[in-house]
Amino acid sequence: MKDAMEKASRMCLRMMVPLALLGAILLFTPILSSQTGKQPEAPKPGDTSAPLSHDLSGVWMQYPDGPAPGVPGMNAIDERFRPPFTPWGQARFDAARPMQGPTAVAGRENAPTLHCDPDGPPRVLNLPNPFEIIQIPGRVLMFFELGHVWRTIWTDGRALPKDPDPTWLGYSVGKWEGDTFVVDTIGFNDKLWVDVYGSPRSDQMHLTERYRRLNHDTLEMQITMDDPKAYRGIWVNPPKLHKLEPTWEIAEWFCVIEEENAYSDSIRKPAGGISTAPK
Amino acid sequence: MKEAEDKSLRPQLCLTNFPFPQILIPPQLPLFPLLRRTILRMTYATALATMLAMPILAPILSAQTNQPSGTAQTPGRAAATTPPLSHDLSGVWMQYPDGDVPGVPGMNAVSNKTRPPLTPWGQAKFDAAKPLVGPRAVPGVENNPELRCEPDGPPKLLNLPNPFEIVQIPGRVLMFFELGHIWREIWTDGRPLPKDPDPTYLGYSVGKWEGDTFVVDTIGFNDKLWDDSYGDPRSDATHLTERYRRLNHDTLELQIIIDDPKAYTKAWVSPPKLHKLEPAWEIAEWFCVLDEDKAYDEVVRKPAGLAPAANK
Repeated sequence: MKDAMEKASRMCLRMMVPLALLGAILLFTPILSSQTGKQPEAPKPGDTSAPLSHDLSGVWMQYPDGPAPGVPGMNAIDERFRPPFTPWGQARFDAARPMQGPTAVAGRENAPTLHCDPDGPPRVLNLPNPFEIIQIPGRVLMFFELGHVWRTIWTDGRALPKDPDPTWLGYSVGKWEGDTFVVDTIGFNDKLWVDVYGSPRSDQMHLTERYRRLNHDTLEMQITMDDPKAYRGIWVNPPKLHKLEPTWEIAEWFCVIEEENAYSDSIRKPAGGISTAPK
Repeated sequence: MKEAEDKSLRPQLCLTNFPFPQILIPPQLPLFPLLRRTILRMTYATALATMLAMPILAPILSAQTNQPSGTAQTPGRAAATTPPLSHDLSGVWMQYPDGDVPGVPGMNAVSNKTRPPLTPWGQAKFDAAKPLVGPRAVPGVENNPELRCEPDGPPKLLNLPNPFEIVQIPGRVLMFFELGHIWREIWTDGRPLPKDPDPTYLGYSVGKWEGDTFVVDTIGFNDKLWDDSYGDPRSDATHLTERYRRLNHDTLELQIIIDDPKAYTKAWVSPPKLHKLEPAWEIAEWFCVLDEDKAYDEVVRKPAGLAPAANK
């Protein structure tokens, strides 16, 4: 099951075709859920009668619905809310050759994932791949199946560092504001995109993630990006829901350059949409 | 007891040799993390510089005073008493960098000196391996997996003197390695090893306590990695056993046993390796990045007459 999930995630990430299948499945979701009762308890935004849990532990999977109702999408970061670029951001965006989206040009892709660059926030949060949260004293740990990446969010009260070295994951601290776990991250390098469409991430990025466990089965996450070097305004995304998957375990899924190249040769190139990965 | 007394020398060797493993470490590592880490370690070593006289004075000091805080307690002292060892392995641990030759740093949690003979399959794999270091290193033809930034995994991940952190949570022991920013999980919820696991870089690990020893069994490896820096192969038939004992608050012992009948004619039992608790350290971000590896080729490896840009 894990393996199947991994493959499903992989395909979902790399090809748009399976998304069409998912879309078809989603059309039947209301019927299925009304019959099986397996749908998690619907979040009730107006219901503030009981405090929410401060335990975020578990394996979570993003609901795959996208911007258009019934159409799956990868929109924990939502392009529709992207602010205008700065000149620096525009230049970066123009240089980016994504594999998907309106600016994709077959044969010229240069997505960081094609050369197995480490993934990092916020993009690692954007895609529908499972992640696990573990809370230990002083820290919240997140484990992403995508790229087998893990990150540390410090909850021991420390401040964000003044002048951190730029990294793929950045430096994260978290605290509870009421029932919301707020994660602040700075110290990113500018080598990654924030989404699959080439929107840039600069070293000025201040990322804020807001988590609320709406009920036992549902985690809400909202991503806010304040990156004045790349965007003329704060990029506030709508909240994205995640489902608890109590029987899942995070599988091993590394990005391996030889597998990337083999995948390009056997799948991407025959499909006509993807070039050989830059090596 | 005699063995424990011998081991008690290691913390002092560690202090005198502290910066050197970073300098002698083979250049398969990306440039910028290496430089950063070297500086970090040098700084740390500088902080310890006042202790450099310790090896000379140690017999006198130990007879007169207690060890200063921050210096590893000797295993011998723990062995002299009989209380059970701690079953809490939590913390950031750093391998003592002394190697096969006393006083000479080395990377031998997997010890080349105790390697069994290779099988024909193992020999073929070994012959095809072109390591960056060791007697078989040939500049220009190296094909180490890390040159392609392949994910690292046990036991090689445990072999090198790089810090790792252990976190224990119900049902699992988690290990976080600075090398490659790798994490692995060791299941301690009583589950058996899987019957026919898919081959992976990290394998599938379960652990249990046998007395004061935490025993980790791992199977399900792929055969893409080496066991060490010298090209000794790791086959998909590998059954890896790690035996951890927290000898005292500051010292973790790790023994690695590789049972890989496809590659070796018998089990490969490495001698135990000591690790020091580093309570003030936090695991830094150190990813293998192909672009940085290429830059390292251009700036360091090629001018040194070593590896070219490897298969990328």
